Amino acid sequence: MGVTITPTMVGQVVISGLLAGALYSMVALGLALIYGVMRVINIAHGTLLMLGAYTTFWWFRLLGINPYLSLLVALPLMFFVGMLLQRTLVARVVEAPELSSLLLTFGISIALVNVAQLTFTSDVRSVEFLTGAFLVGPFALSKSRLVAFAVAVAITAIAFWFLQKTKLGKAIRATSQSSEVAMVCGINVHRIHLYAFGIASALASAGGSLVAVMVAIQPEMGQVYTFKSFLVIVLGGAGNYPGALLGGMLLGLVEQLSSLFLTTQLSEAVAYVLLVLVLLLRPTGLLGGRAT
Amino acid sequence: MRWAVLAALAIGLLLLALYPLVATGYGIRFMLQLFMWVALAQSWNLISGLTGYVSFGHVAFFGTGAYAGAILVTTHGWHWGPASLAGGVAAVILALIIGYPCLRLKGPYFAIAMLGLNEVMRVLVSYFEGLTGGGSGLSLPTLHASGQIYYAMGAAALAVTGAAHLLITSRVGLRFMTIREDEIAAEAMGINTARYKLYAFLLSAFVPGVVGGLFARDQGYIEPISVFPLLTTITMIVMALFGGKGTIWGPVLGAVTLFVFQELVWARFLYLHQIFFGAIIVFVVLLMPRGILGVLQERYRLPRTI
Amino acid sequence: MHDGHLLEIRDLSKRFGGVVAVNRCSLVLTPGKIYGLIGPNGSGKTTLFNCITGLERRDAGEVFFRGERIDGLKPHQVARRGIGRTFQIIRVFPELTALENLLVVTREPFELAHRRAQELLRFVTLDRLENEYAGNLSYGQQKLLEFIRVLMRDPELILLDEPAAGVNRTLLNELLAAITRLRDQGKTILIVEHDMKVVMGLCEKIFVLDYGEKIAEGPPGVIQTDTRVVEAYFGR
Repeated sequence: MGVTITPTMVGQVVISGLLAGALYSMVALGLALIYGVMRVINIAHGTLLMLGAYTTFWWFRLLGINPYLSLLVALPLMFFVGMLLQRTLVARVVEAPELSSLLLTFGISIALVNVAQLTFTSDVRSVEFLTGAFLVGPFALSKSRLVAFAVAVAITAIAFWFLQKTKLGKAIRATSQSSEVAMVCGINVHRIHLYAFGIASALASAGGSLVAVMVAIQPEMGQVYTFKSFLVIVLGGAGNYPGALLGGMLLGLVEQLSSLFLTTQLSEAVAYVLLVLVLLLRPTGLLGGRAT
Repeated sequence: MRWAVLAALAIGLLLLALYPLVATGYGIRFMLQLFMWVALAQSWNLISGLTGYVSFGHVAFFGTGAYAGAILVTTHGWHWGPASLAGGVAAVILALIIGYPCLRLKGPYFAIAMLGLNEVMRVLVSYFEGLTGGGSGLSLPTLHASGQIYYAMGAAALAVTGAAHLLITSRVGLRFMTIREDEIAAEAMGINTARYKLYAFLLSAFVPGVVGGLFARDQGYIEPISVFPLLTTITMIVMALFGGKGTIWGPVLGAVTLFVFQELVWARFLYLHQIFFGAIIVFVVLLMPRGILGVLQERYRLPRTI
Repeated sequence: MHDGHLLEIRDLSKRFGGVVAVNRCSLVLTPGKIYGLIGPNGSGKTTLFNCITGLERRDAGEVFFRGERIDGLKPHQVARRGIGRTFQIIRVFPELTALENLLVVTREPFELAHRRAQELLRFVTLDRLENEYAGNLSYGQQKLLEFIRVLMRDPELILLDEPAAGVNRTLLNELLAAITRLRDQGKTILIVEHDMKVVMGLCEKIFVLDYGEKIAEGPPGVIQTDTRVVEAYFGR
């Protein structure tokens, strides 16, 4: 390779990894919620992210105001979209065999992607808002990544506070552990499913809103985020919510580190190879989640 | 009764064999693709319909066969016939390598692992540019052989459906099914489920590999995204499901119905095509998970071996 | 055979996380008898079965069958050596017919297997249902099917996990008669059961587990009056 790797480069990469990791954690937390509460594998997760990205794009295009403010609209909007999807479709495959949920969410995904292609066209969009980087010592911190990091951390922190401290949050965690016991305890499990999917949808779309400022926006952009979310869940352990945090950070770090040593093409492969390897070697996740 | 069925089958096959003599170029390509989908749906049925292990990345075998076949044709001057068979072998080798570790995984994990595997193959193929042409794809020397490929695809579809028939009417197939029904009980009854799972998996990988090789030859050009798309996996699954997974004729029925429908819709509603497909997926999953033959088996007490 | 023992379990232990399910359990079965395995809920009976048949990996101890060590073998290997079992919750193959449920477990030539299967179906009067999907049978019918399915492989040792559970009197008597007939043919049977009438009436020797430990063994008369057994079930 002929390029010596300096501590600065490693430091830069670690920082970039952590910045990206927070975003992955937040989005993956949504996926973890859906699987944990409903045993549904949501292949449409990246599509929900995509919808969030487009919301931000149009907000900025039509209103011209700070795209980050679009979160105030995107989050509740996607929360309701999520609940709608759950109520009409996903509810029927709750705790069904994996083929059902995989197929159903895939069906939802391509329908939504196709709708996006028709209404937004397949033209690649972008949001030119926050460019450039802060220079902190020898490190360059991309402004948009920094904001994305901060917002993702804030949203994730709120989500965790919600799960731990509020009645509804605890009900969600109880249902994740055992929906039968939750029902017996008087929890309206159907309502929990609704809220869980709504929250997950909001989390995914928040990710979309944040990346909208950083990457190219197009209808198919979601797929790679779906896979990365799967990887995060597998790393952290299915049904293990704090595990999703760790998994997200780990993925961010691994991705950035591998970009040091591998070509961009191969570092794309890293996520997928890691997914398969972790599944084969330690399917219950590094932190240990549910085996089923 | 049995003779009537066999006679009908023989006549049907004869008609199909004679078709290219009277058909247009479009007609031949249409049927060729139809055969391909029958072969794919039926292959998926062999592993997932029978053993219940949901292979959610089955197109990986198709893509592997496509590239193996194409490389043998372009770089080593093989004839596409043996090259396609070699594609099938390549797919089986892949299945052997990942089958043993993957089949130990439980339901959702196996599905996701297969999904991941497909992406890994796609990216690997893109990476080894020298061999595969990478992202720019691989072109095969021009050859107009639709007629011959029609027969080859037909043979593949016939072979895998024949295999399904043999399995589903035999005790070996029954043993595959016990894995789906209750793997623990099957083990307790002396059935080596690990071995049978692997057999089913290897068997289900061969024909997609062959058909991939044929596809590459027919198209004349392949690139990673065209032979490793998730949509292909989903399509073969939905076809098998729609007709009735776990049956012999279900995947055939499903492939024929959905492919014809798809061609009609695609011709008229080019832009809404995917939404329609999404709707079909949702419909099948929610309303007819047992498929047409499954419903008929229940309602009219048809035998298990249809 | 090892000193005439068909099955020998030495100091078997199995834990699940912090819970000790089986604690240094030892027992010996000689051929041609009906044995009982009883104990309060959670005393480790099914776990013991699972360890014998290879469904669970034991943490310590050994299991010998006909003098050969079988702990650590996979379940299908254990089954092939001549141990058959039924399950607490019925595990028939629902989408296979009753006949297919029986045919699938044996590798004998079809003619032979078919004849035996039909014999067994007649034995428990399920023969007219041979082409019915096992999933459509009633609870009692499935129970019988699971029972004769075990017999298809002609095992030497048969482990029955709660054969009387949920079964009506008539059926139960049929079952018990069948078990006795098997014993008379030289087979060895170990039954986990909660129904004391069944156990005391049928078994020649009984093992009692409590919290994973064997606390007593002996013929019914002795067990019934053993203070430790009474305490285990009813507390002090």
